Amino acid sequence: MTADDAPDVALRAEAIGYSYGDRVAAEDVTFDIASGEILGFLGPNGAGKSTTMKMLTGQLVPRTGVIDILGMRMPKQREEIQARIGVCFEEKNLYPSLTARENLKFFAQLFGVEGFGADALLERVGLKGRGGERVSGFSKGMQQRLMVGRALVNRPDVLFLDEPTDGLDPVSARAVRAIIKEEAERGAAVLLTTHDMHEADALSDRVAFINDGRILALDSPESLKLRHGRRAVKLRFRNGDAVEEEVVALDAAAGEQLRSLVSRDGLLTIHTEEATLEDVFVEFAGRRLE
Amino acid sequence: MRDRLDVVAAIVAKDLRVYARDRFYVLVTVLGLAFYIALFWVLPATATQVVRLGVHLPGGEALLEEGGGDSGTGFELVPFSSAQELESSIAQGDAAAGMDFPEEFLQQASTGQATSVRVLLGGETPEQLRPLLVGGVREIVATIGRQEPPVTLPEMEEIVVGPDRIGQQLSMRERFRPLLVFLVLVVEMIALASLVASEIAQRTVTAVLVSPARVSDLLAAKAALGTLLAFSQALLLAIATQTLNANPLLLIVVLLLGALLVTGFGLIAGSTGKDFIGIVFWSMLILIPLVVPALATLFPGAAAGWIRGLPTYPLVQTIVNTTAYGEGWAQAWPHLAMLAAWCVVAFGVGVFALGRRAERV
Repeated sequence: MTADDAPDVALRAEAIGYSYGDRVAAEDVTFDIASGEILGFLGPNGAGKSTTMKMLTGQLVPRTGVIDILGMRMPKQREEIQARIGVCFEEKNLYPSLTARENLKFFAQLFGVEGFGADALLERVGLKGRGGERVSGFSKGMQQRLMVGRALVNRPDVLFLDEPTDGLDPVSARAVRAIIKEEAERGAAVLLTTHDMHEADALSDRVAFINDGRILALDSPESLKLRHGRRAVKLRFRNGDAVEEEVVALDAAAGEQLRSLVSRDGLLTIHTEEATLEDVFVEFAGRRLE
Repeated sequence: MRDRLDVVAAIVAKDLRVYARDRFYVLVTVLGLAFYIALFWVLPATATQVVRLGVHLPGGEALLEEGGGDSGTGFELVPFSSAQELESSIAQGDAAAGMDFPEEFLQQASTGQATSVRVLLGGETPEQLRPLLVGGVREIVATIGRQEPPVTLPEMEEIVVGPDRIGQQLSMRERFRPLLVFLVLVVEMIALASLVASEIAQRTVTAVLVSPARVSDLLAAKAALGTLLAFSQALLLAIATQTLNANPLLLIVVLLLGALLVTGFGLIAGSTGKDFIGIVFWSMLILIPLVVPALATLFPGAAAGWIRGLPTYPLVQTIVNTTAYGEGWAQAWPHLAMLAAWCVVAFGVGVFALGRRAERV
């Protein structure tokens, strides 16, 4: 790949860190996101995801390191950067006494966006015909969809999404995931924080594992699973009234062992087994994600 | 600059919409305003300056008629036909004090015989007024008995130190005027505090601050909204109670400074309180000392030194002095300067507290 072929880096965090008093919340965090790329940010509660997100969005000033977003330096050029990013928070921080449309219009005014098409945006997030209703009457899922919509009012070049499908039913979650994909296809760089490994696996071009304030691994989900997860083949046999299982790890000796098992009587099923991102995370962090 | 104004205007418009949808504050504001205006017009417009003295003087009705009215003495003699009626009237507070003469008083007094008179005082007569009443009673007794005091009275020169307000006592309406203005201002202080606190509690402030809006835009918007709400309602009350008749420009400036002052305190209460109970707690803590100067005008007499140091004292004094005594800019400027200084302090602390709170959410 030549320099001209290299994707545009929309966000670059280099060795950033932050401490709350003596407690280190993030340390030496380094990663970048290209335009049109979705980076999954995975880690348990208290791992440093929110602190990193706050530094990137200008809510906290990093104690160490450098943040460049869209060629500008954070926090020095905070306002210019904030005009071009969209943030979907984990907490539902909407104005409950305002309608959905009023919520969107208010933030559009803050961004200086005119004619952004509130109704089209509401339709896009599955709230068609609900724009005139007050948010206080919305379900948790509807509020979450409005939160996603609010993050899009300025057609951001960098999108920060903190648990965007939290509290959504499967259909709504699928719709939100489709929107995230569309935004990336439009060219937006997306930082996606989630607890849902399947979601991260399905959406992310790359994932970063963060634990105790440090990034443990950063790669595409496929590479992480291939390099760090255990691959195997599971075979099930009938033995009288019982069903037996044989698991063959895909290593150097697997070929001979598999040939032998396949020729055995009573073979019922053969399944391949791949490591999940959860397995890989456990391998790196020594703990599960919850 | 234009962008900043647009952002501030957007936040103010949003806050006005949120405020207008809070039924509690809208109800309290509208009902409160209507009630205060009605109360003002129901209160007596004139001050009672005459002390009523009851007299039971058998056979002396003609004498009482002769010297009974208030001919500038400050006392009104009210005749009673029996000692019991007199005592009952004093007990009920109709008369401040009374004189109960014996049956043969007139005869005994005219022949120079020794006699005695009962001086009756109401139980709630202020202590400092009692010697004055007793002295007044003695003088009246001497007049009734047609006996001059056994001394030659010296020539007396009356000098009034400070503004001469003798005979200009405030009516109840005038006494209540600054209190009503204060109450209107304080409701809006609590409303602003509530708006600020809910913005923080719901963390909408975080969403605002990751947009191009700055902390200074947020502070400017909250300050503008608080001042607008408090000033507009104080102005409405002032118009409805004809407060602006005296010196409109001076009073408008005073109301504006008062609105700025309560906005500063509203920002402090809003930044400190975490929920409605917290807002009420901090607002009450601020409110109690602030209301003292307005309450002090309800009672005659000069305010204590510490009351004069309270932030609302210059507000109250300027309203009273302008509306009741017709004072102008020349007399009001020291109070205006003090009020402005308090505004700077309250605003400074309020803006600092909210700024810190917003950045820490």
